[in-house]
Amino acid sequence: MGLVHFCRCVWALSLELDDFVSTGQPLDSSLSKIYHPSVHQCSGRKPFHVEPRNIVDDDPQKRISAEAAILNSRVHYYGRLTASSDMLLSPPNHVIPLNEELYVYSPLGTAFKVPDGDSASKNPSIVTIFAIWNTMMGTSILSIPWGIKQSGFTLGILILILTGLLMLYCCYIVIKSPKAIPNEDTSSWEFPDVCRFYFGKTGQWSSLLFSMVSLIGAMVVYWVLMSNFLYNTGQGIQNFVHNISTSDSEFGTNGSDRVICPFPKTNPEGNDTTCTLRLSSVGNSSDPGAFEHYWSKTRTVPLYLIVLLLPLLCFRSASFFARFTFFGTISVVYLIVLVTIKAVRLGFHLEFHWLDTSQFFVPEFRQFFPNFTGILTLAFFIHNCIITLMKSNKNQDNNVRDLSVAYLLVGLTYLYVGVLIFAAFPSPPLYKDCIEPNFLDNFPSSDVLVFVARFLLLFQMITVYPLLGYLVRVQIMGQLFGNHYPSFLHILILNIFIVGTGVAMAMFYPNIGSIIRYSGAICGLALVFLFPALVHMMSLRQDGRLSWPSAFFHSFLIVLGLANVIAQVFM
Amino acid sequence: GMSGTAMKKKVLLMGKSGSGKTSMRSIIFANYIARDTRRLGATIDVEHSHVRFLGNLVLNLWDCGGQDTFMENYFTSQRDNIFRNVEVLIYVFDVESRELEKDMHYYQSCLEAILQNSPDAKVFCLVHKMDLVQEDQRDLIFKEREEDLKRLSRPLACTCFRTSIWDETLYKAWSSIVYQLIPNVQQLETNLRNFAQIIEADEVLLFERATFLVISHYQCKEQRDAHRFEKISNIIKQFKLSCSKLAASFQSMEVRNSNFAAFIDVFTSNTYVMVIMSDPSIPSAATLINIRNARKHFEKLERVDGPKHSLHMRMR
Repeated sequence: MGLVHFCRCVWALSLELDDFVSTGQPLDSSLSKIYHPSVHQCSGRKPFHVEPRNIVDDDPQKRISAEAAILNSRVHYYGRLTASSDMLLSPPNHVIPLNEELYVYSPLGTAFKVPDGDSASKNPSIVTIFAIWNTMMGTSILSIPWGIKQSGFTLGILILILTGLLMLYCCYIVIKSPKAIPNEDTSSWEFPDVCRFYFGKTGQWSSLLFSMVSLIGAMVVYWVLMSNFLYNTGQGIQNFVHNISTSDSEFGTNGSDRVICPFPKTNPEGNDTTCTLRLSSVGNSSDPGAFEHYWSKTRTVPLYLIVLLLPLLCFRSASFFARFTFFGTISVVYLIVLVTIKAVRLGFHLEFHWLDTSQFFVPEFRQFFPNFTGILTLAFFIHNCIITLMKSNKNQDNNVRDLSVAYLLVGLTYLYVGVLIFAAFPSPPLYKDCIEPNFLDNFPSSDVLVFVARFLLLFQMITVYPLLGYLVRVQIMGQLFGNHYPSFLHILILNIFIVGTGVAMAMFYPNIGSIIRYSGAICGLALVFLFPALVHMMSLRQDGRLSWPSAFFHSFLIVLGLANVIAQVFM
Repeated sequence: GMSGTAMKKKVLLMGKSGSGKTSMRSIIFANYIARDTRRLGATIDVEHSHVRFLGNLVLNLWDCGGQDTFMENYFTSQRDNIFRNVEVLIYVFDVESRELEKDMHYYQSCLEAILQNSPDAKVFCLVHKMDLVQEDQRDLIFKEREEDLKRLSRPLACTCFRTSIWDETLYKAWSSIVYQLIPNVQQLETNLRNFAQIIEADEVLLFERATFLVISHYQCKEQRDAHRFEKISNIIKQFKLSCSKLAASFQSMEVRNSNFAAFIDVFTSNTYVMVIMSDPSIPSAATLINIRNARKHFEKLERVDGPKHSLHMRMR
């Protein structure tokens, strides 16, 4: 007992004396008594009488283990024998205890364990898989039935599977890319950093630019959808309160599970003015007319949202909104349940016309399939943040397996929703061609289940929109000004630009199918096909392992990405 | 033989380049290692070492084997000079070395030189950097090496230790070496025990003066910390480094609190003593007087039975 106390005190003493020698200033006030004898009578405490106490919390005192104490002593001593930059006597990694065994040691004798941030956030595989699924599941799920319709049922399913596999492979080479970089500590790198390593500033800026395309594209889609859902929610409440039935005004099926065809023409790119005129002819009292005037999907509702969302975008921190991410999961699950119920009620209406067009059905193989590939590129897009998501996987060896399982689950979800809606769409009275880019538009405002779906999605989007805005702000402001919040004016200008784009789209071109496929194809070209394939080929070439088949295959990927973009324009 | 003036006896620290000798010396003897004095080629340590060890032994460090021909020639031509008057040979093997055959070859040539020039030298072999070996394999690997070394060393007897600067094995190995070099160490221990019991000390330690390696200790009850000797050694050596910045030298220290009183003081020409009293009511002066009186007694012990006396006779 005596010797241990002695060790502690002498060690503390030697530290104090060392500091005294080097700076001339005694550190600890209690020890200063030995240099200033006049202070002796101040308290009843004798010199060096210190009670061991925990300096952080009141848990039962933890004492340091013998091995740790002696290692500490050695590290202290050896540190005195060499220059501070000399690594000769610094402890090698295998000597330092694992993170779980690291303590902060107080010279007063107690030790407490510092909870390690890193190890605390290691997730088991199932959590990682769920996080990936949750992040990938976006609003593109609403456009999958339209995409299947555009490409034909059979071709659509094939394309979904193929695109999923391709994007899974590209995701796999993205997560492999930081590890293939030799001589650098890439543990905190994301894919733009990898691009900067291989392509310099150009690579960093272009990967950033395309990442912005996907984010701003998503925000525009959100604005359009939010306007849509807010409009329908308001319309539904209005109809419910005033007991208005809209069954005569819209072309659709009869019965309790009504499905409507908002733009009953074979050309799905409907004309807005037609719709507006038809709706305004419904009201036989002045109120609905006034209501229609002030509550229009394309003229007024998008503007009302500005009042709500622009202030939210200007918040300095988005952590408040991060709490609501679980709403996304609830919405998706609700959609799946909704789709199942609708399919059960409506029954299947499938006819296989392989290449010929018929009045009610679409051929199995259509020329408009690039629309679907564009949508799927955004639907399966996670390449700009997959490295970060995978970092917190507990067992890193399972990364590839977990990624594949996540992609499989996402693909199955999309397939389920797309196939069921497409198959259950009541074709004899309606045309399969009527399936809207947002399949909820095919249900009237009076449908309760769909009303709830719209409301849930509206709420979820209102909480995700500021998060997306925060991501855009952080990346743009960080790159341009080095500071995430240079001034309120900068942020306001950026937000006005983003909101303005959204409002303009919602007012003049609210076709989310097109917005999704264009932004998906463009950012997919860079971040899914071009950069990963180039990075992979370059790292293989540096190792001397680039074989001709591999180079051909990866170049083909780049060609596919390019073709995807070009086809969006022409189809 | 040419004894004439008493030539300093040496402790040779030898081994292949990069086996860890400089680090070892720095840690044991609290020498600061300046960056530029390392790895410029072999260490040529010709009588530059002023480290006195066990009173009158001087530590010499030599790189042995594995360097260019110039060094080889220098080594061979100076061989007799290097291996004369050697009291102790400490040979360091890097456990990770890929050239075992070569290492053994150089070791054997050193032994030949020892046999020729200082046949009574004690030989110690340190299998170093054992922290790089997986824990469950350490005993096995060490036993293998030990067998090989003992076999190769015949007719000389070598004592083998496994060491690493990152655990207690280095300190213990060097403490064992020092223990074997102290003359009449058993007698010292008995006297130490008596001394401790007379003054009613909890624990009494005897340290080698330069390195604070524990030569002998007495404790009257079980102590909790098995690593306390090394810790004290580290603390005192750090303190000595601090003192040397002021061009002061460490002489003695007293630490008290309400539970104990500890005294570190010079004891004999080769040793320091540390006395722990758990009865703080005994005044310091009393213990210090006791230590002073014991000092005279122990000095006498040391002087009379110096084996260096007998070794000197056999010097050439």
